[in-house]
Amino acid sequence: MNQLFQFLLRQRIFLLFVVLELVNLWGIFKYNDYQHTFYFNTTNRWAASILAMGEEVKSYHQLREVNQDLALENARLHAEIFKLNSQKQPESKIPYFLGEGMLQRYQPLACKVIDQSTQMSQNYLTIDKGTRDGIAPGMAVISSTGIVGKVMSCTSDLSLIVSVLHTGNNVSAKIKSTGELGYIKWGGIQPEVANLQDVSKYKKVVKGDTIVTSDYNAVFPPNIPIGIVAKVGLEKDETFHDIKVMLLTHFSTLKYVYVIKNKLAAQQAILEQAKPKPE
Amino acid sequence: MSSSIQWKWYGMLLLTVVLQILFLRDLAIGNIAFCFLYLWALLKAPLQIPIGLFLIGSFVLGWTVDIFYNTHGMHAFACVCIAMVRPLIFKVLTPANGYDERSSVSLAEMNALWFFPYLFIMLFLHHVILFLMEAMDASLLGISLLRAFFSALVGMLVFGLLELFSQNK
Repeated sequence: MNQLFQFLLRQRIFLLFVVLELVNLWGIFKYNDYQHTFYFNTTNRWAASILAMGEEVKSYHQLREVNQDLALENARLHAEIFKLNSQKQPESKIPYFLGEGMLQRYQPLACKVIDQSTQMSQNYLTIDKGTRDGIAPGMAVISSTGIVGKVMSCTSDLSLIVSVLHTGNNVSAKIKSTGELGYIKWGGIQPEVANLQDVSKYKKVVKGDTIVTSDYNAVFPPNIPIGIVAKVGLEKDETFHDIKVMLLTHFSTLKYVYVIKNKLAAQQAILEQAKPKPE
Repeated sequence: MSSSIQWKWYGMLLLTVVLQILFLRDLAIGNIAFCFLYLWALLKAPLQIPIGLFLIGSFVLGWTVDIFYNTHGMHAFACVCIAMVRPLIFKVLTPANGYDERSSVSLAEMNALWFFPYLFIMLFLHHVILFLMEAMDASLLGISLLRAFFSALVGMLVFGLLELFSQNK
């Protein structure tokens, strides 16, 4: 303590100088309008940039929750869209009544992808919800941009999904503008491209057409986007177009998917079982 | 240092400050050179003055001018700065035979090679600090330095003339 006082005593001139200059600086920035404004502008700018930086870091850490929220909201919006789409009256002269069961037919459920592959010739995804959340094999899985695949098997908390990027997983599809039917089959190589098959060569297909799921699809709800026609080719002596489709779902960066519960699937299955089998 | 010189010093202090406030306040030569006569007392303060007292004195002097210039704190800041630097300048500019016990800061007692560098360093430092404080802007650095330089030249002229006149007396 004594040493401190001695130090202060030795430096008293310099301390006096510092104190006087601080008083002056205070006066300059307090009472001069221009300097006052300058001080406030500068400090505000610094403060604002620092706060903005902090906010950015914070929001980065919140991205996880934000994604979760957005996925849930998307699921809700999907449900809304399915309902509205089914409410939309088809253009027919016949009076048409939509049953309550059909209105509530599709219920999406947001799930997180916890494992996936795109490089194999048969690709699968694993998601973080299972039978406990009402998922059953055979349900459709879509992403926010397009179709993903269908549920193959479930445990109580996890489910395995057969991706569209699976050579054995065909999806009934149609060309949105003309309504021509076909089916999507993955070629087995590029995770961005699939083939649309069974479209007769006498039908008109244009590059850029949108491909959506068809109305007769047992798995997917109708009119879910699949992809865009990227290339239309026609081999000689072939009956069908050779159509390459750019898939709308980005499989390699897939984080959230929506499992669509089809409430009428069981009824449809029972009915279709009753079909007489060809001998 | 006799008391008559001290009285003369106090008288000049008052006179220069009044002149500064009443007349030189609005004087600008080509909008680039200004005359800060009130620094006379600071420059001519006795060599042996206690530095603490000198700092406080220059602070009060600066604020007095500031009040009339409406630049609260700026002149005082520059004044306290050069008051702090003054002993250093003395040390750097020490004449060959050292400082006499009775010597004062004047052209008559020190030679011109001591007096004018001293004057220039003090004035230029003061003006640079003052103008930069006033401008508060890096883009005005050039014009501020130019003003400081020319103001220092004007100051040297004025204080040199004052010295010559007091020598004649």
